[in-house]
Amino acid sequence: MNNKADIVMEAIYKALNTLNEERSTDDQIVVGPETCLFGEGSVLDSLSLVSVIVDLETLVSDQFDKSISLTDDKAMSRDPVPFVNVTALKTYLLELLAE
Amino acid sequence: MYDGKIVLITGARRGVGHLMVEHFLKNHAQVIGFSRSEDLGESHPAYFSFVVDVGSAESVSAGFSRVRKKFSRLDIVINNAAILTSQYAMIMPASSAWSMLETNLLGTFLVSREAAKLMRSSKWGRIINIGSMAVSLEPVGDSIYAATKAAISTLANVMAKEFASMNITCNTLGITAIETDMLSQLPREKVNAVIAGLPIARYATADDILNVIDFFSSERSSYITAQTVFLGGVN
Repeated sequence: MNNKADIVMEAIYKALNTLNEERSTDDQIVVGPETCLFGEGSVLDSLSLVSVIVDLETLVSDQFDKSISLTDDKAMSRDPVPFVNVTALKTYLLELLAE
Repeated sequence: MYDGKIVLITGARRGVGHLMVEHFLKNHAQVIGFSRSEDLGESHPAYFSFVVDVGSAESVSAGFSRVRKKFSRLDIVINNAAILTSQYAMIMPASSAWSMLETNLLGTFLVSREAAKLMRSSKWGRIINIGSMAVSLEPVGDSIYAATKAAISTLANVMAKEFASMNITCNTLGITAIETDMLSQLPREKVNAVIAGLPIARYATADDILNVIDFFSSERSSYITAQTVFLGGVN
């Protein structure tokens, strides 16, 4: 049975793969634990990041039946921000789910 | 006309909102009504009434969670919920001003935001804000109300840019006075004087409003966005 961390990671990958479905074949994001989502080295433009955040909030909220916000003041004032890469985002989501 | 479409209308229980609920139901849409209190007045099988306070982020989020689970998508949203307190600015209670800001402006923002998230997956959507002639006529006593209605036009225009790539249009219909509960809160002589000054000097009818709603909602209006249409010759 999947544990919480696996489910969260799966949701992040799903959100990124959904974005890949909307991109051309020569513009695909390499999806993995180190994929950078925000800041220098990010593979996403701002609208793509918004799309991933929206999908991810919905996926995780539905999966755990708990409202999750990835864009509140807490997330954006965190250093580094949770979107620096996939692993950091997973860690942050697990923290939110534990609250 | 709206077969297969899922339509959400805020402030659905009374007035213009209720007119629009009946119109969309008559034209075969499934209609979701958001109201602050239980809507017991409409029992159509394609009507789904949710108690939502659009001025509360938590309430809107919970309402959309139910919409997502039940329908999985949303096609048309009409931001109609509004509060009007008409009072001279110097004696307008701050609480009344806050209520108008929360329902009229913040509520429109919150509902549009959540709607766009749902519309994104189907790459199709129509967001229509119900504005007011007060934006242009700037009647005495309507300082905050007119400001909130001006703000939702701007809100629609910015969102139109942000949502264009998702094939979601955002427009505003600036209505004139129509016989509703809201109108009855205003001195009739004052409203009559305003109406007499319009290029087309009469009250709006339901069909005047529904005509523009249908235009903005149409499949053919995919190239119409960030527009405000006023009724009655107001500009």
